[in-house]
Amino acid sequence: MIELSGVSLRFTTYHDKYYSLKRACIDLFLRRETSNHSAFWALRDVSLGIARGERVGILGPNGAGKSTLLRVMAGIYPPTSGRLRVEGRVAPLIELGAGFNYELSGEDNVYLNGALLGFDRREMRARIDRIWEFSGLRQFAGLPLKYYSSGMLSRLSFAVATEVAPDILLLDETLSVGDASFKAKAHERIMSVIERSSVVILVSHDMTSLSKICTRGVWIDHGTIRRDGPIDEVIQAYTEEVGHSSPAAGSNHEIPTADAA
Amino acid sequence: MPQVFPPGGDALSGANWIGTIARDARDLYRFRAVLKNLVAQDFRLRYHRSVLGFLWTLLNPILMMAVLSVVFSQFFKFDNAGNYAIYLFSGLVPWSMLYATVSEGAICVIANEPLIRKIYIPKLVFPITRVLLNAATLVLSMGALFLLMVPLGARLTAPLLLLPLAITLFATFALGIALITATVNTFYRDFGHLLTVVLQAWYFATPIIYPVNTLPPEVAWRFWLNPAYPFIRFFQTIIHDGQWPSWALVCSSAGIAAVVLGIGYVTFKCYEDKLVFRL
Repeated sequence: MIELSGVSLRFTTYHDKYYSLKRACIDLFLRRETSNHSAFWALRDVSLGIARGERVGILGPNGAGKSTLLRVMAGIYPPTSGRLRVEGRVAPLIELGAGFNYELSGEDNVYLNGALLGFDRREMRARIDRIWEFSGLRQFAGLPLKYYSSGMLSRLSFAVATEVAPDILLLDETLSVGDASFKAKAHERIMSVIERSSVVILVSHDMTSLSKICTRGVWIDHGTIRRDGPIDEVIQAYTEEVGHSSPAAGSNHEIPTADAA
Repeated sequence: MPQVFPPGGDALSGANWIGTIARDARDLYRFRAVLKNLVAQDFRLRYHRSVLGFLWTLLNPILMMAVLSVVFSQFFKFDNAGNYAIYLFSGLVPWSMLYATVSEGAICVIANEPLIRKIYIPKLVFPITRVLLNAATLVLSMGALFLLMVPLGARLTAPLLLLPLAITLFATFALGIALITATVNTFYRDFGHLLTVVLQAWYFATPIIYPVNTLPPEVAWRFWLNPAYPFIRFFQTIIHDGQWPSWALVCSSAGIAAVVLGIGYVTFKCYEDKLVFRL
């Protein structure tokens, strides 16, 4: 369902994001080489085929390109070279709150968010009751989003994102939502979405949840695939490596977070 | 429908514009609910804050036209001030649509950064939202202002039937320019300052506040160098003159609209993939 062949992504980082016409004219006039940006390869020649029913865990040190890979699969970053083919409805749970408009009411935002995930108004109307029920925000439905607390916001967007049944679910571990009681509910719900999705791709540092959820592991390092195979093998190889390697590699390994997924 | 990148498959990139257009049409159709939502929510934001929201947006053109008609009707050869007010109305209201679409279009990609960076969305949605929104505003304010113009001598005539055509062509033209400004402004953030000045100069170069027949005929042809001129003339002919426009006028409007939209589309598509990295 997902096919990447030789996908590379070159990131251009602009020292001065707000490059201006004024600067461009001065550079042209002074015959200055534009040194405004420097580039690095976030992904290099990644080839990966993921079939229906697979649960893929992506692991690797910070800054290895895990989240970038998810974003490429979600269609957010167009690859610099290589080919990409994604079949089916993709639900990216990469960052919560995508496409919220803070001036509008919670209800309007649910419809907008649903539309972004590929569900029209009618389909969302059938789901909105369950969304209010799950998020516990029914009495705030008419309130403009700017008056929501951050906990309420993340609950709402989590509820919308997990209410839909996607073909491909992209999950980033950094999703942590709400208070303890909500977290327990959220965990349960995420598991049920994972069950409903044909393909799940999970980025995490938490080895226990990775080995519990996933069937296949992909270890990414410096933008390339280091190892690809059954999850337990990959985890073992990865933990051995991390245990030995000195942090001189430049990538600081962080403590695995408890609230993965 | 599978998402494929590079979109053209094995075809030469850039060579297959028909394929690109077909793909965009499909993509936009798939995201029509998003488009509808974005237009509806902006529309609501613009008007529902205050009960008088819509009336407030009318107040600006009304006052503007009142001031201009009092001042300028002294200078130009119009039979009465009312006639001049209608002339002004027929050019000024469409112009404000162009102005709003182009200047909002310039910031539409930047303003939707949170959306673009978090989820896949065809970027064409944003300029199209701006043009739909402003075209809808144009229709509403034109209807309302026309009623106000009736005491001044505005009359329903048969050529007004061409108004939908005029609005469609002008909106197409505005979309083309908005696509260009959206692209340029995302790469060069100070383009906005320049744009304000350019739009102001363009406004004075177009016969909106002054009638074209006040100028000697030797120089009047130069207006045809102004791409907005045929559209404004179109509106003035059907609203103020109450006459059917000449075929030359209709065809030149349609031709310019198509060409500008084409240029805008190609510009936007060439840089679309790079936009997300410049946010």
